[in-house]
Amino acid sequence: MASNKANLELWQSEFICLFGRKMSLLILLVALVVAATTGKSNAISSASFSSSSTMHTNNWAVLVCTSRFWFNYRHMANTLSLYRTVKRLGIPDERIILMLADDMACNTRNNYPAQVFNNENHRLNLYGDNVEVDYRGYEVTVENFLRVLTGRHETAVPRSKRLLSDEGSHILLYMTGHGGDEFLKFQDSEELQSHDLADAVKQMKEKLRFKELLIMVDTCQAATLFNQLHSPGVLAIGSSMKGENSYSHHLDSDIGVSVVDRFTYYTLAFFERLNTYSNASMSSFFNSFVPSLLLSTAYYRTDLYQRPPDEVPVTNFFGSVMETIHTDSSYKGFSSKRTSSAKIEMPLDQADETERRTLTSTTAETHRTETNVEAEENHIFHFISSIWNNKVERIEKIDAVVNYGLVAMLPLAALSTWILC
Amino acid sequence: MTFLRSILFFILLIQLFFVKSNGIDEEFTEELLLKPLPDRKVLAHFHFDTKTPPTKTYGHHHRLFPKAIYQLVQKFRIREMELSFTQGRWNYERWGAFDSMSSSNAKPPGVELWAVFDVPPHQVDANWKNLTQTLSGLFCASINFLESSTAYSAPAWGFRTFSGKLRYGALPREAVCTENLTPWLKLLPCRDKAGLASILDRPSIYKGFYHSQRLRLLSNEFSLDASAEAPGIVLEQTLTVVLQPHSHDTRSIYSDGRLLHPSWSISSIFGRAVAGKCVLANLSTIYVELESGVVSALNNLNVDLETGGHGADDMGSEGSWSNPGFELSVKPERVIKEVNSSHGKSFSILYEYSVDKYGDNEPFDLGFIWKLPMAWSCLHSPFHASRFLMGSGNQRGSIAISLRSTGSSSEGFIGGGDFFGDVCKVRVDIFQVVPWYVKVYFHTLQVYVDGKPELLKDILEKMHVSPSEDKVSPGVMEMVLRFPCSVKSAAVVIDFDKGFLHIDEYPPDANQGFDIPSAVISFPDFEPRMHFLDENSSSKSPMLLKLQEKNPVISYTEVLLVPLATPDFSMPYNVITITCTVFALYFGSLLNALRRRVGEEERFFKSKAANQTRLLPRLLAKLRGKQQEPTQSTSSSSLGRKLTLKIVLVAGVAIGWHYYTDYQSS
Repeated sequence: MASNKANLELWQSEFICLFGRKMSLLILLVALVVAATTGKSNAISSASFSSSSTMHTNNWAVLVCTSRFWFNYRHMANTLSLYRTVKRLGIPDERIILMLADDMACNTRNNYPAQVFNNENHRLNLYGDNVEVDYRGYEVTVENFLRVLTGRHETAVPRSKRLLSDEGSHILLYMTGHGGDEFLKFQDSEELQSHDLADAVKQMKEKLRFKELLIMVDTCQAATLFNQLHSPGVLAIGSSMKGENSYSHHLDSDIGVSVVDRFTYYTLAFFERLNTYSNASMSSFFNSFVPSLLLSTAYYRTDLYQRPPDEVPVTNFFGSVMETIHTDSSYKGFSSKRTSSAKIEMPLDQADETERRTLTSTTAETHRTETNVEAEENHIFHFISSIWNNKVERIEKIDAVVNYGLVAMLPLAALSTWILC
Repeated sequence: MTFLRSILFFILLIQLFFVKSNGIDEEFTEELLLKPLPDRKVLAHFHFDTKTPPTKTYGHHHRLFPKAIYQLVQKFRIREMELSFTQGRWNYERWGAFDSMSSSNAKPPGVELWAVFDVPPHQVDANWKNLTQTLSGLFCASINFLESSTAYSAPAWGFRTFSGKLRYGALPREAVCTENLTPWLKLLPCRDKAGLASILDRPSIYKGFYHSQRLRLLSNEFSLDASAEAPGIVLEQTLTVVLQPHSHDTRSIYSDGRLLHPSWSISSIFGRAVAGKCVLANLSTIYVELESGVVSALNNLNVDLETGGHGADDMGSEGSWSNPGFELSVKPERVIKEVNSSHGKSFSILYEYSVDKYGDNEPFDLGFIWKLPMAWSCLHSPFHASRFLMGSGNQRGSIAISLRSTGSSSEGFIGGGDFFGDVCKVRVDIFQVVPWYVKVYFHTLQVYVDGKPELLKDILEKMHVSPSEDKVSPGVMEMVLRFPCSVKSAAVVIDFDKGFLHIDEYPPDANQGFDIPSAVISFPDFEPRMHFLDENSSSKSPMLLKLQEKNPVISYTEVLLVPLATPDFSMPYNVITITCTVFALYFGSLLNALRRRVGEEERFFKSKAANQTRLLPRLLAKLRGKQQEPTQSTSSSSLGRKLTLKIVLVAGVAIGWHYYTDYQSS
């Protein structure tokens, strides 16, 4: 209840700004639809505009362990395992937001101080020497989690605690803890509901905070947490379907508790074989989960994601693999770079932003945009005429209707004149 | 172009020359002090010191000084700051309470932060809040919880004497782990890759009984009367660890029942040896300290051996690195003896090793081998302070601070106590912060001396109290007490009521209880310091200078855990479900009673059943009909509807037009 109240306040505080943004977006959409119907360039759907035209700029990871108390050791081990994996695959510490709800490494009950293991063979110390925990202990709350996602912090909050992603970012959001039907428990005292998550993701989309988002959840009934998601560019993987539990993998008798969950264990088993240069696709990752080993059915939701998962490498989310642009010549100067980037980044007839940018650059550039604007006007005219034509065609089909109408008008007119007289 | 460049180069050279000629440069020193403790443990104290000259003469660019800290000082205009992360409790009775080591390095559990700002008083709070946020990002800790005004206080004189511009806050339950140590080590120019810091193996440190990592900043960047000899910013980083060396020796128990202290070496307690110095360090030194208790015990041992006729050897003399009691595996480069000690006849001894000549090929691994069992005790503070809770139940209780005189204090009092007329009195300062939900009643303050209640005005010299305000500020209590020197025990008792929090304000593990941060008890009359004979060398070492500084004896009391009445957190849900059930039952039955007509219903059901039987074939027929030509039928029907619509429209227009023309004509 408390979280909901906090959320409500959050939503209210920025409603106006969002509304303004929405209006501008609407105008942009209308312009886009007009442009698209002219059929000049690649007709793209309005929703996927931002995600398909912007380039992949960077990778971020938000890793959340929401469980407190020693017996939830495995949730922290899960999160730290993922932390280690994404770090190994190239996402730097400053682009990882790690939230751990309790201190397990230096817990008095931990037999191995400053060490966390995810396997009873104790070969790999997940805590290492160089772990950066951004939110820990009581700071891991629903409010802070939503603040991280939506980027609405107090001004004093340091950069290391912020998700400073942009419209070209690929974000991995991993959450583990105890959950149920459409909720996830935080610290055993408050809940994140599927609506909250969906709203946050929607807001992130509006604020151009990501291009693609992979949500990975390892809880009981994890699939239900994705029910309310509607934002494009979102992929979701859950450890279990509705009505199923997610189980831990094995118990470490030295530590005294279970050290890893099944879903995360097999995720790690998949990633241990990979390095930054691997081309394993998302669908091969999805298919690596065997229900008989998981004791639950892994669920993945791909309907909001534009690209086919078998073409997307896993390093898209779990690593930091950048596309490079080969230029013919070396770096020349500011103006030339600007025009070339404009050429690469977006087709010219799509956004008014391109126009604004190109208008301020060289004369040749302005000339080109002028012709472009003209062309666009022509297209608008064509568009209106085509609509007119369509209408006319449809009316011709029911030509008889008009005739009937005219015929019917005569007696009525006669009647009315008679009444009046 | 080349001419310009050469001019630039020349200017640079001149600048460099001037900087050099000033003789002030950034400095970094690393030192490690190892000390055997009476209870078979070893104290390791790392001291890293980074200095930079003032910005006015040196500029903004630094070679060694960490940029993050420099920016922190500049942005928040910090004059002095201390941040400590501690886990475990310093054992004042066994590890010492009467030396500068304990008074400056024994810290309360969790996080303690205090800072003095060089800004007008109304800006101090804003700067403090921003500082806590920045530090929380820098050190991966929840220091930002000190941002709320309920968590910090502004002591007037009880903690340190900076009126108005000092802020103090503590988080007793903050976890301290690797993620806090790593950013702290990253402030060092060699990080943990080289030098003394490279032996800081995380698991072995956190296995210890006590570890406290401390960061102290001192800057005179913003003070107007900048004295010439004071450097710009001094960053002092210390790490104090108490570790238990493993004793592999099976014959450690002697015939007389005394235990031989376990022998240790750097590699046995840290897991690795020192592989050379950090090349950027001006000074890289390791000391082994033998406190005065050990030295006197060794002297007694030597005397025993001599009288026992074992034949005293030259090595047995005082300050030797190899004697009947113990042996150091490496010969020390220098032995520094304490002179003019304030306590008794015995002097502590420091063995100095320089790490300069050791490297990767020949790592420095110092071993300390005990040969004979030895027992000694450390120096005690005049009073042993402890704090505890009294009372039971969830409504009220009282906090008691008890001071117990440590037996060997009579001569200490003569040295430290002030004389008021004929009566010797000892001064005790108490600084205590209590959170607002522990509502302290200051009028209930009582002082007991040797078990008997005393009048407050006889004991209390000065007191400053700022009462807590609900959900706004904590209660702060600063007191100066003067007890007669002959006192054996004293207690200060104060009553409190337990407050209620809003359901949102409880932490997730509220049932565990709430912490009251440590109280600070200081004895300003006693300022123990060490005097070293070799002045010119020790003046270079910041750690030795620190040991020779005059500091009042300070001890932190225990953190108190107050159980507060916690609500049943599922109560709102229970209430909602129960109320809903009751409402449903009530209204349901009421509506049934009022509205339900049984006979009517039966009739309705009967007719419905009859309808259903007749409806079914009709429905099937309809479906069949639709199946034949569903598209046509829908289109024709829609056409028909459209047609009528249009006719009506046309008629309407016609009538309207007609009226209009009629009106015009008439």
